[in-house]
Amino acid sequence: MPEKQIVSMNCGKIDPDNIDTHIDQGGFKALQKSLEKMTPEDIINEIKTSELKGRGGAGFLCGTKWELARKAGENQKYLICNADESEVGTFKDRHLLAKDPFTLIEGIAITAYAIGAQTAFIYLRAEYHFLLDLLTNAIEQAKEKGFLKHLAVQIREGAGAYICGEESALMNSIEGRRGESRYKPPFPTEKGLFDKPTIINNVETLMNVPQIILNGGEWFKTIGTGNSRGTKVFSISGDVEKPGVYELEMGSPVKELVVTLAGAKNIKAVQVGGASGSIIPFDQLDTPLSFETLLGSGGVIVFNNERDITDMVHQSMIFLSEESCGKCTPCREGTEVMIEIFRRLEIGEGVPEDMENLEALSEAMMLSSLCGLGQAAPIPVLDSLKYFRSEYEDRIEKSQILRRLPRSIA
Amino acid sequence: MGNITVTINGTEISVPDPMTILEAATQNNIDIPTLCHQPDLTPNGVCRICVVEVEGARTLVAACHTPLTDGMVIHTRSPKVLSVRKTIVELLLTAHTGTCVNDVNAANCALHKLASDLEVGEPRFHVQKPRFYAPEESNPYVTRDLSKCILCFKCVKACDEIAGKGVLSVGYRGFESKIITGCDDALTHDICKDCIVCADACPTGALSRPDLLDKKQKGAV
Ligand SMILES: Cc1cc2nc3c(=O)[nH]c(=O)nc-3n(C[C@H](O)[C@H](O)[C@H](O)COP(=O)(O)O)c2cc1C
Repeated sequence: MPEKQIVSMNCGKIDPDNIDTHIDQGGFKALQKSLEKMTPEDIINEIKTSELKGRGGAGFLCGTKWELARKAGENQKYLICNADESEVGTFKDRHLLAKDPFTLIEGIAITAYAIGAQTAFIYLRAEYHFLLDLLTNAIEQAKEKGFLKHLAVQIREGAGAYICGEESALMNSIEGRRGESRYKPPFPTEKGLFDKPTIINNVETLMNVPQIILNGGEWFKTIGTGNSRGTKVFSISGDVEKPGVYELEMGSPVKELVVTLAGAKNIKAVQVGGASGSIIPFDQLDTPLSFETLLGSGGVIVFNNERDITDMVHQSMIFLSEESCGKCTPCREGTEVMIEIFRRLEIGEGVPEDMENLEALSEAMMLSSLCGLGQAAPIPVLDSLKYFRSEYEDRIEKSQILRRLPRSIA
Repeated sequence: MGNITVTINGTEISVPDPMTILEAATQNNIDIPTLCHQPDLTPNGVCRICVVEVEGARTLVAACHTPLTDGMVIHTRSPKVLSVRKTIVELLLTAHTGTCVNDVNAANCALHKLASDLEVGEPRFHVQKPRFYAPEESNPYVTRDLSKCILCFKCVKACDEIAGKGVLSVGYRGFESKIITGCDDALTHDICKDCIVCADACPTGALSRPDLLDKKQKGAV
């Protein structure tokens, strides 16, 4: 399947500082159509028909989510655009925000109208502070053109925590509380930001909305695979010749992205979905990228033959442990215990029980953590144990040899 | 409102709605252990000891904050639940070492009691630096020994919801998380006075009443 641009179709074609260049490309037509010719229910139905799923990682059906918020019996509702993008190796939202802030604003304006929100927040990751002026300017221009009469769009900056991309921690952060996850239920559609019904969607998700409104949900459904409609924007980095952002039809094989487009050679493994993403070995590069198989947030990192898999998982775990909010036991303690196991494996102090213990910890963390961080953290551990078990065994064997050596030599 | 029917460990029961899994279990004399829950506080949902299996759910769910829904089928002691619960207790014991075992307060330590109930032995795990904080005894009303703290957040809730003071909060993040006062200041008696609800809520003796400690020590000698 070839590259296909829906979300990023205007990137590079318009001037992100000038709304007129965007309008020249047909920008804001979808908003006009929505406000003039469609009821909020029509929009929700169109999105339901399209089977658009969230692009932030969890892949929840947007139409279903929006309907819940629409029907929630409260006057005050909120829309939040999740631009926290802190996943390791993920920089597709940054590309989209920087190149085409207007399509996002259009998507936000349509979504807010559909769910009945009068206020929308863009939650911008702290490290994207350099995009603040550009976004503020884009909002101002849209306001001047009269596109935001029904809506106040505000930007909230994060303070540098990965966990604040998780929707409930994000809401805590906007409310001025400690950035830690809340338990569910209640779900945000019922009791979200300031206890009001709230919809949280990723930047890329919202940027799909205008084209669906213009071309119809049925059109969108013709793109991609049975459970993954449309395209996906990927950011690829690591051992590749051409790192960057690529938009592909859902269901495209990993190989196409990694080899054909990014020019990777001597691939050992590919991690899809950031630090807690799945690892696929070199002999499974035909795997399609879709919700049915593997996708995550769209961050893809390539590791070539010179890389050590246990080191790589160790690094992922250090990140996740640093970013754990510390609220629930399995995530807070489990990630710390895991990095200790990896540290010992690295310095030649591994023991045979290490693999078993990693598996037991993984089970507990996946099944009992409060939020997605702790639940997903063991994925690369389990995948690496599955596909690269011999690397663990080697480390443990070397540790045993080291232990047998007289101290003076070791 | 009205009643709903749920099945816990094979027995069908009818309970008023809304109600959490833990509340229904307690009412029906089914024991689900927890370290961070106290009936007069809103659920914390942090220790994850109370996880149970709900048929059809992707993960285990915490009984203390999960509301029952009609027809829910719950297992509180399935092999999966027991295995995960034991691992969580082990994780808490791993970093919660210190003097606890020999301490007079060990008898009051809910974690040690739970570990023996669940037959958790020496933990399989290690961390590079177990938590260690110097004990603080300068406050006449409350003694703080954070090495024993298992971060159940109950004291924070109690200080907020029962005492209405909001003196305690959580500082730092991840493994470094710590229950603090102010900007991680000393627990002087200017900050915290004599209400002691935090010590009453503490399951491990990380916060305790000095008089209790005194009496116990005297009794022990
Ligand atoms: C630890 C963690 C970090 C997350 N970070 C992000 C993020 O940076 N951006 C994002 O859109 N979603 C992130 N998510 C997913 C959000 O919780 C939420 O599912 C998403 O914003 C919903 O939008 P969508 O349905 O459009 O994907 C994260 C989830 C977890 C558990």
